[in-house]
Amino acid sequence: MTNELPPGLALRKVDERIMTLNVGPQHPGSGHMRIIVQIDGDYIVACDPDPGYVHRGEEKMAEYRNYILNIPHLERPVIHDSCNVLYPYVLGVEELLGIEVPERAKYVRVIASELNRCIYIMYWLAIYGIFLGHSTMFMWPAGDRELLIDLMEKMTGARVTHAHFVPGGVRNDLPPNFEDVCLRHVNYFEKRIKEYAAVFYDNPILIARTRDTGVLSRQDAIRFGTTGSVLRASGVDYDLRKKEPYDVYDELDVHTNVMKEGDSYARSRIPWLDMLESCNIIRQALQKMPKSGSVRVKLKPNPKGKGFDTVYKRVESGRGSLGCYIVSDGKPEPYRVKLSVPSFRNLVALPNLLRGEKLGNMPSVYWSLNYWPVEADR
Amino acid sequence: MGTATGIIRALNSGIKHIALKRFTLRYPEEKLKFVGDGYQFDPSTGVGIAGLKGRHMLFHDHCTGCQLCSIACEGVAEAIAMVKVPEEQTQNKKSIMPQIDYGKCVFCGLCVDACPFYALYMTNDYELSSFSKEGLIYTPAQLQVKPYVAQDSEIQISDRGATHG
Repeated sequence: MTNELPPGLALRKVDERIMTLNVGPQHPGSGHMRIIVQIDGDYIVACDPDPGYVHRGEEKMAEYRNYILNIPHLERPVIHDSCNVLYPYVLGVEELLGIEVPERAKYVRVIASELNRCIYIMYWLAIYGIFLGHSTMFMWPAGDRELLIDLMEKMTGARVTHAHFVPGGVRNDLPPNFEDVCLRHVNYFEKRIKEYAAVFYDNPILIARTRDTGVLSRQDAIRFGTTGSVLRASGVDYDLRKKEPYDVYDELDVHTNVMKEGDSYARSRIPWLDMLESCNIIRQALQKMPKSGSVRVKLKPNPKGKGFDTVYKRVESGRGSLGCYIVSDGKPEPYRVKLSVPSFRNLVALPNLLRGEKLGNMPSVYWSLNYWPVEADR
Repeated sequence: MGTATGIIRALNSGIKHIALKRFTLRYPEEKLKFVGDGYQFDPSTGVGIAGLKGRHMLFHDHCTGCQLCSIACEGVAEAIAMVKVPEEQTQNKKSIMPQIDYGKCVFCGLCVDACPFYALYMTNDYELSSFSKEGLIYTPAQLQVKPYVAQDSEIQISDRGATHG
């Protein structure tokens, strides 16, 4: 019998202080991804995020389907935010095919997109709450999300993965009496999320836990190329709904929320403020929307692009700016579809944020990045 | 604001909710109400009619066996297969109709958009679970049946909170 163990099981020397810890990919604290953390006692020395466990080949799949049949699978990366994931693709195809969208359809899209943003943020907030050990913040958003999911179900016919946006408008018109129901639900929803302030955001225990952890300076936020709530929490006022308005966002009064601190607390508070802003946008859109009219342009059965052409469109999703680059070669199928996703870009900042933090602060820093593994892997 | 005051405020906002109504839907006893009879599509205008995207419904007297729904599904889920039916229909010379595998269907409704003959609609039926894989495959005869779906509960909002009334 020998004392030699295989290399993976070899015992470390006692004087070797640095230990490697794998968080994930089966660990519930990381989602479908692995974070390789080097720790010295309780402090993180280095961290190496390892995404790619849920790579589905969405971009390659898109090359074999025509422009319409790409819709159901391209919304899969983030099923809770499916309208926003599909939005840049649909805008791009409309420009490629030269389609003019009816005015009412643009408003319906804005309402669906804002409702979806709230649904995504509520889901994220529930996870963020439970990983900080705050069970109330798990139950409340998970329950109140139902109000908006019910609206989306009335509007699109599905609770998640709506497949509602198509090149040329939306699939179906709003059901009768939808405006009143939507206004009632959104008003109540806004009243409910304002209650989260006392129980979560102004709670001294949460503030003690997340203040000054994982600070991302304004300069670093720009240098790493972060987007969305991460960028706005570091004091950069950048929101595509305001900077590059698409559809009818230029006719609506959009207010962006910016915080200067750049810590986990600011990054978790910005999405909540965004939800309050989304409620305002929905109310404005319901008021300004044309009361009748077409919502979809009738297309030919197999629409084609006009020769070789490229287009890049981006929208502000629940996590940040989401872009879609489409190359057409005149066939019914796109030559190439590339998704430029916010989750992957926000992950770049993670090693920098975790260095020097305690291991116990890792969940609050990691989840505050608004990271969605499936979207990053595509 | 002091730490103690903040914690008391947080506790208090939770305690207030003891007096509020319960939001939970007691599912098998209560069932959600939907708008309309399910997602439908009007090929003449090219716009759908809002409704739940549930189990399909096939109208045998409209279906011509053109396979457009099956071709649409090939790019999505490959759930629709065209099968022989024993009955004779005047508009359906080949006597083939769609058979849908709900183990594969993603309920996107693009097959309904593809049908130019008003033959395929979706209904409010969403309780499709089965003990076997074969039980999830719906033949044209099963798809012909209009489902009965109990709908009794809708979200109601009052000053004392929202509830599934």
